[in-house]
Amino acid sequence: MWAGLDWGQLPQQLIFGLGIGAIYALIALGYTMVYGVLRLINFAHGEVFMLGAYTALFTSWWFGFRPEDLLKTPQQGTILILLIMILASMVFCALIGVIIERFAYRPMRNQPRIASLITAIGVSLLLQYGGALILPNSPPPAISSKVSPFADQITLQIRPPDAALAQAAEEKKKEFEVANTAFEKQLASEKSRFDLSPAGKELRDARLEAERENKKAQDAALASGYKLIVPSGQLIMLLTTVILMTMLYFLVMKTKTGRAMRAVSHDFDSAGLMGINVNSIVTITFVIGSALAGAGAMMNATFVGTPLTTFYGVQLGVKAFVAAVLGGIGNIPGAVLGGILMGVAETLVVWAGYSQYKDAIAFLILILVLLVRPGGLLGSAKVEKV
Amino acid sequence: MNLPIRLGSFLAAALFCWGIQTWAMGSLPFNLQRLIALAGLYVVLAVSLNLINGITGQFSIGHAAFYQVGAYLAGYFSIHNFNPQGMPPWLWLILMMILGALGASLAGLVVGLPSLRLRGDYLAIVTLGFGEIIRIFVQNTKELGGSYALDKIPKIQSLWLIWGLAIVCIAVCRNLLKTAHGLSFLAVREDEVASSAMGVNVTKVKVMAFVLGSGFAGAAGALLAHWETSITPQTFSMDVSFIILTMVVLGGTGSITGSVLAALVLFYLPEYLRNVSAISGSTLVAVTLSVITAVAVMKRLVDHYHRPMKQRVIAYLATIVGSAILGVVLNIAFRGVESLAKASFTGDKLRLVIFATTLIILMLLRPQGIFAHHEFSWDWVRRLFRRPAPTPGATS
Repeated sequence: MWAGLDWGQLPQQLIFGLGIGAIYALIALGYTMVYGVLRLINFAHGEVFMLGAYTALFTSWWFGFRPEDLLKTPQQGTILILLIMILASMVFCALIGVIIERFAYRPMRNQPRIASLITAIGVSLLLQYGGALILPNSPPPAISSKVSPFADQITLQIRPPDAALAQAAEEKKKEFEVANTAFEKQLASEKSRFDLSPAGKELRDARLEAERENKKAQDAALASGYKLIVPSGQLIMLLTTVILMTMLYFLVMKTKTGRAMRAVSHDFDSAGLMGINVNSIVTITFVIGSALAGAGAMMNATFVGTPLTTFYGVQLGVKAFVAAVLGGIGNIPGAVLGGILMGVAETLVVWAGYSQYKDAIAFLILILVLLVRPGGLLGSAKVEKV
Repeated sequence: MNLPIRLGSFLAAALFCWGIQTWAMGSLPFNLQRLIALAGLYVVLAVSLNLINGITGQFSIGHAAFYQVGAYLAGYFSIHNFNPQGMPPWLWLILMMILGALGASLAGLVVGLPSLRLRGDYLAIVTLGFGEIIRIFVQNTKELGGSYALDKIPKIQSLWLIWGLAIVCIAVCRNLLKTAHGLSFLAVREDEVASSAMGVNVTKVKVMAFVLGSGFAGAAGALLAHWETSITPQTFSMDVSFIILTMVVLGGTGSITGSVLAALVLFYLPEYLRNVSAISGSTLVAVTLSVITAVAVMKRLVDHYHRPMKQRVIAYLATIVGSAILGVVLNIAFRGVESLAKASFTGDKLRLVIFATTLIILMLLRPQGIFAHHEFSWDWVRRLFRRPAPTPGATS
C-alpha cells in the first residue's frame, strides 16, 4: 500500500496540511476556551464561524466586489480591504458570541450541563436554518480570488535540476523548434491542412517525434530538481494565525484579565469568591473565542473559497472540536497542537490516496489517542465527579 | 406486581398492537402509515438512549450509529437470503430484528469498553466519532450501496412489530428500574465512586447499558430497513443522533414517560409543520418579537415569582395573552412595511427554525425536561382526579 506513494511530495503535503491545520487551530481555540471556562461544548461555535464568513463576503461586496459590479468595473483587492474584512468579521463574530452567551447560555448556567448542551444544539440549528431564510445560498462567486491580491504562489527551488539533463532538455527543445519551423514552412505551401503531400507527411511525423522527445527530456529535467510550492494565501493565513496566537498567548499569560481567565477556568466558584467578576470574564472569553473564529472564517472564505452556505461551519466546526479534544480540551496550546495535527493528518490521508476517508481520520486519531491518554494529548485526566 | 395485573398488561399491549395495525393499515393513506411507523421507531430510539444517557448517566451522542448498524446488517442479510416461500414474513422480520440487535449490541460493546476509561464529554465525543466513522465506512463500501442507497430490501411492513418493539423496550427499561440490577444503573449515574464502594460492578453496569441500549436501536434499524426498502447513509447523520438526544433531555433525563412523549412530539412537530401554509415576512417578524417577549417575561416569572400555584398560573396565562395581543398589534403595524409584507416564507423552510426555537425555549423555561425525573403511574392519575388542583408540569 505504500509502494505507490510519491515520497517526494511529502514536504509539499505537509505545507498544505499546515495551512488547513491553522484554520482548525483557530476554531479549536474558541471551543477550548469556552470549555475551559464554562465546561460547555459550544456547539454553536461552527455557526459563529459561518456568520463570520458571511460578514467577510458582505464586506467585500460593500467594497464593490459584487459579481455584477466586477463585470462593470473589474478591480483588484488590496491588503487594506483584506484587513477591513478580517476586522469586520472578527467584530461581528464577537458580537454574536456575546449575544449567544448572554441569552442562551447564561440563563442555563446553574442547570445540568446536558441541558445547556441541548440549548447549544438548538442555537446551532436556529442559526443554520434561520440563516438560510435570509442569507444568500452559495452566492457566486464565494468570496473570489478577486478580493485577494495574493492569488499567485511562491515557488521555492530547493534543488536545481540536474545540469546534464537540463542541457539535454535545452537541446531537445531546439530540435523541436527546428522541426516545427520546417513543418510550418511546408504547411504554407500545401493546399490543405488535412490532405498533406508525402513530403509534408514526413515533416509532420518528424515534428511529432521531436515534440515527444522534447517533452520527455523536459519532464526528466524537472523531476531531477526539487521545488516546493507555497500558495501566497496559505502563507498569509499561517502568518496571521501565528500573530493572533501570539497575541492570545500574551493576553492569557501576561495580563490581569488573562490571569482571571485562568483562575475561572481552574475553579469557577472560588474565582468568584476571590473577587473576580466571573460574568465579565465569561463574556471576554466568548469575545476572544468568537473573534478568532471570525478571523479563521474570513481567511478560509477568501483564500480557500469553499461555496458558502449556512451549513458552512458544520463540518469544520465538528473537526475543530475534535482537534480541541485531541489536544486536551480546556488547554490552549493543546488546541493549537490538535488543530495542526488534524490538518496534517487529513492532507496525508488524501495524499495516500484515501481521500474518501478524509473525514473519518479525525475521529479515528481521536479515539486512538483517547484510549491511551483519556485527557487528550496535553490535558490531564481528572476524575470527574458526576 | 401480581399475576392479574401482569396478564392484563400483556393483553393491553397485544390489543394496542393489533388495534394500531388494523386501524392504520386498513384506513390510513400510505404516508400517514409511514409516519406512525417512524414515530414508533423514534420511541424505541429515545427510550433506549434514555437507558444509556438518562438512567446510567453515560453521555452518548452517537445513537444513530447503532440504528445504522442494525439497519444495514439486517438489510444486507435480507437482500441476499430472504425467501418468501421459506417462512412467514413476520417471522423473518423478527429474526432480522434479532440479527440487527445482535450486531448493534456488538457495536455497543465496542463503544462501551472505552467508556470505562472516559467520562463525560470525552465519552460523548468518542460516541459521536464512532457514529461518523460508521457512516463514512458505509459510504465507501460498494456492497452496502456506497453513498447512494442500499435498496431492494424486501418490503416487510408491520406496524404491530414496530409498536410491539416500542412496548417491549419501554417494559424492559421500566421493569429494570424495579429490580436490584436497575437500581445499580441509577447508582452509577449518581456517583460512580460511591456505588463502586457499595459493591456495584460499575464496569458491568456501564457495558450492560450500552449493550442493551444499542441492541434496541439495532432492532429498530432492522425494522426501518424493511419498512423503507432503501436506506442511505444520510438517514443516519449526526443530526439524527442530536435529535434523539434532544428527545431524551427534553422529556426529562431518566424519565421513560418523558422520552416517549418527547419522541412523539418532536417527531411530529417538523412533519406537521411541513404542510403549514406560507406566512408573510411581517407576520414572521411580529411572531418572533412577541415570542421573545413572552419567553423573557416567562423566564423571569419562573425564576423569581414564587407565589401560590393559582397566582402563578394566572401570571403565566396573562403573559401568553399579553404577548399574543402584542403579536397581533405588531403584525398590523409591520404590514405597512412594503418589503416585509411582500416576503413570504413557506412552512417547509420554517419548520426546522421553529423546531430549534421550541428547543431553546423549552430548555430555557424548563431545563430539567418536561417530566423531570417523574414517571407516569396510575397512582399519579388517581391523585390528579382526587385533588383537582395543580398541573403536574408546573411544580418546581
